[in-house]
Amino acid sequence: TAAATRPWRLFGAMCLLRLPRITQPLQKEEEEMAALMEQIELEKSHYSDHEIRKLQEEEQLRRRKESAYDDEDEAPGKMVIMAQDLEEKWEQKLLSFKAAPRITDADKNNNRTSLNRKLDSNLMLLVKQKIGNQELWLLPQVEWQPGETLRGTAERAMSTFLGDHIQAKVLGNAPYGIYKYKFPRAIRTEDNVGAKVFFFKAFLQSSDLSQAELKEDYLWVTKDELGDYLKSEYLKKVNRFLLD
Amino acid sequence: ALVSCHRHYRSRPTHGIGRYKYLLPKEAPKKKRDRVQMKEIDVGTEHEYGDINIQMTSYDMCLVEHFAQYVHRLCNRLAVRVKESYAMPTKTNEVLFLEERGSKMQLDAVLTTHQRVVQISGLSSTFAPILLEAIQSNQPEGVHLLVKEHTEADFKSRLKSRPELEELLAQMS
Repeated sequence: TAAATRPWRLFGAMCLLRLPRITQPLQKEEEEMAALMEQIELEKSHYSDHEIRKLQEEEQLRRRKESAYDDEDEAPGKMVIMAQDLEEKWEQKLLSFKAAPRITDADKNNNRTSLNRKLDSNLMLLVKQKIGNQELWLLPQVEWQPGETLRGTAERAMSTFLGDHIQAKVLGNAPYGIYKYKFPRAIRTEDNVGAKVFFFKAFLQSSDLSQAELKEDYLWVTKDELGDYLKSEYLKKVNRFLLD
Repeated sequence: ALVSCHRHYRSRPTHGIGRYKYLLPKEAPKKKRDRVQMKEIDVGTEHEYGDINIQMTSYDMCLVEHFAQYVHRLCNRLAVRVKESYAMPTKTNEVLFLEERGSKMQLDAVLTTHQRVVQISGLSSTFAPILLEAIQSNQPEGVHLLVKEHTEADFKSRLKSRPELEELLAQMS
């Protein structure tokens, strides 16, 4: 039978990504370039409507002062709002506006279980799972059952760890990577040589995970911090399909 | 003499030596009305998407245009066929504040919404998630991204409506 001749066990693993919310800060060369381009554009640009209006009003004010109040009759009728007043109003509004802080994780003292961590890079979900005798940090994985697509396995893995109503979007049916390993000789039998883990990617749509997480050992980790938790072979295969 | 002045005059045997237009196939004469639709291939079992529209909207025109340029060039580099790359007309919104302290004052702000569309065809389903992820991760702030399949409604939205024609049609039926 076809099932008996396959010595490899199949697993589907899900790499859940939270996309960055803020752009990364510019590097030094980028900043210098941006400043230069802005200056060039400012010098090349024409006056906008608001600026033309402001200049005209300044001219009129000056003329009125010099010509010793000749057109005083005109003044009370027009000129309810001057461009200068508008500008001051807008500046006051700007000062009263407070932007949200960019560095929230610094406040939370490197709490790696919260989603509000690094807002400018991708965050991945890592879970502690028991494989054989060891407890390892892995991307959430679940064994494949016959009659199920591999993508379905990966989605099942996600839902076992995070509950059913996760708004995550899987983009395609094809896996992104594969990790193959053989069991240690003690456990190896003819039917059970090793395991293959297929990786899928999903993007988190909403950032609130109000459902309780089943296992307490979960982490949201950036690509650089993966090295602290994953084993080297596994890490190599995972790094191949991670952007940035 | 560095320049030869032998014009290929009509009586010479070399008259008409550079002609080539008569060798090319005949072009159909261009009508005023544009061809309505290209054929649409859909997934099914074919592992290929049909026409896909990548629509980018934002209030800031420079950002949107640069992002559209970036997407277009990315598709060129990745050998994805770009069918069309066009802009939808800008929509102007006036924002009026109604302050209810004392007299109702109205402060105005004028916002313009710009939209650019890049139309792609022949995207294979194994490559699509990678392209989408690349575009998503390089999205600038303030730009909304929408990727959807091209439909007739999308095509019709680009054309202007003709009220007289519609009136006549309504009168006829």
